[in-house]
This record gives sequence, C-alpha cells and structure tokens, in this order.
Amino acid sequence: MAQITNTHTVISGDGNSYCGNIKDSFNTVYKSDDDQQIMRWLSPLEPADRHHGVRTNRFEGVGDWLLETSEFREWRNSDGGVNKAVLFGSGKPGVGKTYLR
Amino acid sequence: MSGGILWGERISLTAGNTSSLVIDSLCDQARREDIAIACLYCDFLAQKEQTTTNMIGAILKQLVSREEIPRDVRQAFQDGKREVGGRRLLLRDLVQMLKIATASLHQVFICVDALDEYLPKELPELLQSLRDIVRESPRTRIFLTGRPHVEEAILKYFAKAVVIPICPNPDDIRNYLEMRLDKDDEPEAMNHALRTDIVKTISEKMSDMCVGTFGVSPISAMYTYK
Repeated sequence: MAQITNTHTVISGDGNSYCGNIKDSFNTVYKSDDDQQIMRWLSPLEPADRHHGVRTNRFEGVGDWLLETSEFREWRNSDGGVNKAVLFGSGKPGVGKTYLR
Repeated sequence: MSGGILWGERISLTAGNTSSLVIDSLCDQARREDIAIACLYCDFLAQKEQTTTNMIGAILKQLVSREEIPRDVRQAFQDGKREVGGRRLLLRDLVQMLKIATASLHQVFICVDALDEYLPKELPELLQSLRDIVRESPRTRIFLTGRPHVEEAILKYFAKAVVIPICPNPDDIRNYLEMRLDKDDEPEAMNHALRTDIVKTISEKMSDMCVGTFGVSPISAMYTYK
C-alpha cells in the first residue's frame, strides 16, 4: 500500500540537517519569552505549522514531474534579478484547492 | 463501487500539494546554510489575519528563526514597545529588515500557495511588497500558485513571470486512485475488471479536463462516470 509520507523519488535524504528553514522551525523552541514575543510581533501567522500539516498528508510521488521541468530548474538555478524571480504554477478551475487527503 | 470512497470527494493533486513539494524539494537541495526558504499558505478561512503586513512578517519570521534574531529586528521590537500600545509594524520596515536578514545569504526562496484565496483587494499590495523584496534582495526567487485568474495581477508586478500549468498528470491520478482503492473498506465488492475500469475512466476524464475543458470539476467528472 502506498505510504503517505513526504518522501518522493526526485530527491533523496531527509534534508533536515542542512535546512534550518521550515521543517525545523516547526519544532523551534525559542529560548526566551522575549524571543517568542518578537516572533509574535513579527506576525501572528504560523505558516510553518500549516506546511507541516500539508506535507504530512501529501501523497508520495504526486507532482514530482514539476520538479523536473526546465521552467522549474531554470527558476531555481537562475542567478537573480527581478526578471527571473517569479514562477507561477497556474491550476485550472475545478482541479480543486484542497490538498490530498 | 463500494463504500463510496471516491464519489463526491475533491481530489486535488495540486495546490498545497505542489507548494509543499516544491518547498521540501528546495529544502532538500539547499545543502548550504546560506540558502533560506519561507512559505506562505493563503486560505479563504484566514483572510482576516492574512493581511499583507502579517504575510511579509511571516516571511521574515521564518527567515530569522533559523538562528539568533538579528539585532535590528530586536531593536525595532524594543523601540515599538516604548510607544503607547506598541507600534504597528510597517510594511516598508519589514522589507528593510528582510533585506538586512538576507544580505549574507546566497539565495532566498519564498513560496506562496493559493493566491486566489488571498483577499482580492489586498493582493496588489502583497504582490507589490514581494516585488519590493526582490528589488531590495535580488537573490530572492518566488514560487506562486493559484488559479489562472490571478495571473493577470501577477504579471502587473512581475511582467516576466514564467507561468507553468499545474495539473495532475495521468500517472499522478492513477497512483492516487490505486492508493484509494487499496484502502477500500469493502474489498470483496471489487473485482479486477471493475477496478481497471474505474482507474482508466477517471484518469482519462481528469486528463481531458486538464487539457482545457473548463467548467468541469473532478467531482462532476466522477458523477458523470457514476
């Protein structure tokens, strides 16, 4: 049976060791009350929590094709500048917005 | 069809799925500490809290949570506390703080999911702020998802944005259906021919939809089949 996990075929490794970003920040415990206050002051939103929820329910292998497209690769590897900054994934109406459950 | 597990259920192999996949892929490939990644998920149900200031603040929050909070952020917070009721954060201050926080980074990736769920009257401000961020921090890459109607707004701020249609491919759909059928709680009601038929018909209908049949939802495609 298919496993519902965050692993997919395109990449390997858990990435946690070097990615001090979203994955880890979900579990970040700020040392002081002051730091927590600053974080709340910056924004009440907790997108890292939402990300954790979405990725937990993601279906293995689905959408991997996107990561292999030249559009995605060029966007990811480009050197910079406003002109090459944005990639927009456009989903047609009716495809549904709720992520896979 | 036993158990009715497929009928009427919204299948989405895109949207949050795609954004979270992109984010994790970037994270896994970002094998250096000088690459930072932040995500934002727009949500109809959270439009009230999802102001542009809160969204940009959430980007900064994710970037500074990686290590020690930068001195200028701490200072701005302390300065704000001295004012009655606490000073409200201003967008331009956030963009400046982002600039400082990302100055030493090789690359910054920002992913914003489901822009069509963002309050339409706030969308221009959000896009303008993202453009300000890219101008101030040129090594920023931005991945956006949303329904096609937000493309026009995006192109106003990022005229050279690359648009890539997101659509579950036939393999995605087949894999998903197989997974769901494996989970059927009444397997005795299923036989091989029916199973093959279900997978074939639904994946064909969904693929047809994706090559340009507007106005047909996966749900109605399934009901048609039923």
